[in-house]
Amino acid sequence: MPRRTKIHVGLEIGTSKTCLVVGEVKPDTAVKILGIGVTKTAGVRKGEIYDFPQARACLKDALVKAEDASDVEIGSVFLAITGSHIQGVNNRGTFRLPEGEPTVAPEHVKEASEIARDVHIPPDHVYIHNIIRNYRLDGLEHHTSPVGLFGKTVESDFHIVHGIGTRIQNSIKLVREMPLEVDDVVFSPIATAQLALDREHRDRGALVIDIGGGTTDYALYLDGSIAASGCIPVGGDHVTNDIHLVTGLPFSKAEKLKILEGDASADPARSLGTAKLIDDRGFAEVEVRRSILNEVIRQRLEETLKLVYHRLPEGGVEAIGSGVFLTGGTSLMRGFSELAFDVFKRDIYRPETPEISGNRNSFKDPKYATAIGLIRYAQILETERATPPGIIKKISRLFWFGK
Amino acid sequence: MISYTRDPQQTIPTSSVKIIGLGGAGANMLERVALDGLEGAELLATNTDIRALSAFVGGQKIQLGRNLTKGLGAGGDPELGQQAILEAEDEIRSSLKGRRIVFLCVGLGGGTGSGAAPIITRIAREEGAFVVVFATMPFAFEGRRRREQADTALNELAVLSNALVTFDNNRMGELVLAKQGIHEAFSAADHMICESIKAVIRLVIRPGLINVGLDDLMSALRTNRSRCLFGSGLAKGKDRAARALRNALASPLLDQGALLKDAQTVLVHLSGGEDLTLYEIELLMQGLQKFVPEKAHVLFGAAVDPAMADSLSITLISALPEDHLAAAPRDSLSKASRENPLLDPSDGFTSYSDPEPEPEEFEEEPEPEPEPEPLAKVVPLTRYEPEPEPEPEIQPEPEPEPEPEPKFIPQAAPKEEPPVQVAPEPEPEPKPEQPAPFIADPEEDDEPPFAETTYAPRNTKGKSEDEMDAFTFFDNPAPAKAPAKKLWGKPVTDELPEQKPASSQPERPREAIPSVEQPKLKLGGKPPGNQSELSFESAPRGRFEGQSPNVVDGEDLDLPPFLRKKR
Repeated sequence: MPRRTKIHVGLEIGTSKTCLVVGEVKPDTAVKILGIGVTKTAGVRKGEIYDFPQARACLKDALVKAEDASDVEIGSVFLAITGSHIQGVNNRGTFRLPEGEPTVAPEHVKEASEIARDVHIPPDHVYIHNIIRNYRLDGLEHHTSPVGLFGKTVESDFHIVHGIGTRIQNSIKLVREMPLEVDDVVFSPIATAQLALDREHRDRGALVIDIGGGTTDYALYLDGSIAASGCIPVGGDHVTNDIHLVTGLPFSKAEKLKILEGDASADPARSLGTAKLIDDRGFAEVEVRRSILNEVIRQRLEETLKLVYHRLPEGGVEAIGSGVFLTGGTSLMRGFSELAFDVFKRDIYRPETPEISGNRNSFKDPKYATAIGLIRYAQILETERATPPGIIKKISRLFWFGK
Repeated sequence: MISYTRDPQQTIPTSSVKIIGLGGAGANMLERVALDGLEGAELLATNTDIRALSAFVGGQKIQLGRNLTKGLGAGGDPELGQQAILEAEDEIRSSLKGRRIVFLCVGLGGGTGSGAAPIITRIAREEGAFVVVFATMPFAFEGRRRREQADTALNELAVLSNALVTFDNNRMGELVLAKQGIHEAFSAADHMICESIKAVIRLVIRPGLINVGLDDLMSALRTNRSRCLFGSGLAKGKDRAARALRNALASPLLDQGALLKDAQTVLVHLSGGEDLTLYEIELLMQGLQKFVPEKAHVLFGAAVDPAMADSLSITLISALPEDHLAAAPRDSLSKASRENPLLDPSDGFTSYSDPEPEPEEFEEEPEPEPEPEPLAKVVPLTRYEPEPEPEPEIQPEPEPEPEPEPKFIPQAAPKEEPPVQVAPEPEPEPKPEQPAPFIADPEEDDEPPFAETTYAPRNTKGKSEDEMDAFTFFDNPAPAKAPAKKLWGKPVTDELPEQKPASSQPERPREAIPSVEQPKLKLGGKPPGNQSELSFESAPRGRFEGQSPNVVDGEDLDLPPFLRKKR
């Protein structure tokens, strides 16, 4: 099935950076990254926009950079959103077949799905995703729709992601003002997981944790389907802020110290002596005892990971077969893998970006995982949309019904 | 209905509940009840067959037809069963005396069950009890004669009892898997009936946040010649609301909720542990909405029972006019006795009870209560009104906080004085010292106190009890806190730093010095008094200053864990 090359653009307006990734999906489904436009974000806090004009200026800048780098005129984007207001819940819809109908008809499955999707959400929330996890027919799990099979009760399990409508609308509005069209809105960890996990990881169970500047997003996959997702409004900014509050250093120095010297592993050997920042003239302008610095960082990150741990469904972490995948800028922290292992007691990975050609080095950076994941998401969406009714099938079906 | 106020019904003590097992099937159900442990309720087994009766160990026993059948069974003859019970009528009457609720478990179709059940029901009604009959119908393979006997008895019971719940043995197969043993099928059926009994008891005995009492129960069942729909579900853990509802609807007595769509009145009663949330209730009721017709009258009740721990139980009770029941075989017979408007069960209760000793009973019980009643009524009032008052006073001068309290004492009933003082005290104190847990609480508790306070007056109107009292107490501090936080938010940050440094300075160096190697550089620029001070209002939040607090699980995530945990 030869398909044309398509270009997708992923946009993530993060707390620390606004990032546009232009990707080319080739006919053989390989993805090539054509260019990236990144700017430091202003006006976004904990994943949510609080200063609209500033955020707009940043997006504009990133857009220009991305268009320059990729030599593509960008018309529409896939937008990743996050924020503590966004929640993922699981719901199951049960539909009992009416008497005298022994086999499952499409409308029965549809009804069960309707019931499952009809989860109670607060009035100001809107649905972002309805993801089918699996179907059950009289208690037996089916990965595909059980239409046509014999049964009495159809159940469908859904994972539903919802968030406050107006905040999401504002993110979309920001993009529209560029002007850009929004193809789809995707909850960040779901986009990240598209990149970080392949099918095998999902089948065996995997957890993706994206620790960015202002938020920590997570998505848990079990048995091939998503089991939990959510967002904790804590990120790298908090680590910097903690260092600032405990040591009294200004933000810029605290940030530098965190990146250059911080360690989260709780290894006493790495907490000896003092961490220094040398200024331009070679003087030590900042000196902080490592034991303090590392302890501040570790406690913050440990707490964050534990919050994730406790939000996961019971037994969820034990069911993780392949491991925990860390992405996001903060996951670059030294000793973070050790810390994550201490919390989750599972294999810890930093994801590699698979099957992407182009200038690979810059894309290995976990900072871009979400935006690149968006392109993967777009690609999957494209395949799902494109395959079922092929043109020939469509025509033949019309013909068939015509008779 | 009119003659019943809510008051007496909420105070039904468990001791006034009696569960009777009649005949062999009834004894089995009763045994299950005894095994499952139902505290308080008395059990009574009655049978003509002395062998079956002597096997029962759960409680009181009465042999029927001592002279008539001489310890043998009734041999499937209802006539014999009827005569047998008449022989023991006095014995049964005395054992039922003073009972407020009687559950009669009976398997219809046999001699003892079909013959004696209507008589026992009548006796119990004459003794002024509310009678709920759980009757099982015979299997289809037991033949038509047995079925007819059962139907006749059922029709009599429908008239005589206050509530009639039937379970068709033919549906037993739905309860268990095909390959499971027959004993499992029977014990599943018994278990279901036992659960139903427990649910009704829970409903009537536990005073709820939103009460449902016998009156509601009766109005849910008030359909002429009705058959009771009954479902109860229990679930715990995450997503328990949805699962409890699913379990309730899965009850064979409800037919997956399909039967509910003809219901006119549905009684829904929720009971959960102390962590029952309004959100869960809302979720559950929304789920239920799909099964209940829009015009149906929904009687809703909720109760918090600490013994439920983290589980949640839902009980659905409704009644269907008999002709709505699809289970056809009984229809022909039931129509015959429909012309008996006099014996309409709901009317029957009151008309029976009027001449009986009941009125005295009911009036006796409310008597001790008038005293607590005003007490409980006063409580919410004093709580609501004085609350806004002390706040403006506290703001200008935070020191003399104990003073405003006496203000609301005069308004409260005199007995309330000590508790009133005790309750608000924690308010002023923790604020300056360690507001950390304090501010976290209102954030989290916002919803529950809201729910409680709105319901509280409703409760008191109905009746009052010690438990209720405690309950209004409990929610007193919560509403006080919520508004307090808003009002104090700013003033506190202004005031506290002035008060603080004195007390906190000795503390500060201890933490600050080890944290920084070169204090000469950094400490100067740092707001000194506040670093070791962990109060949420005054602690600096650096970059996140001035934002809404980022509270999760009672901890402000914007503050460094390093400082929070060192405390």
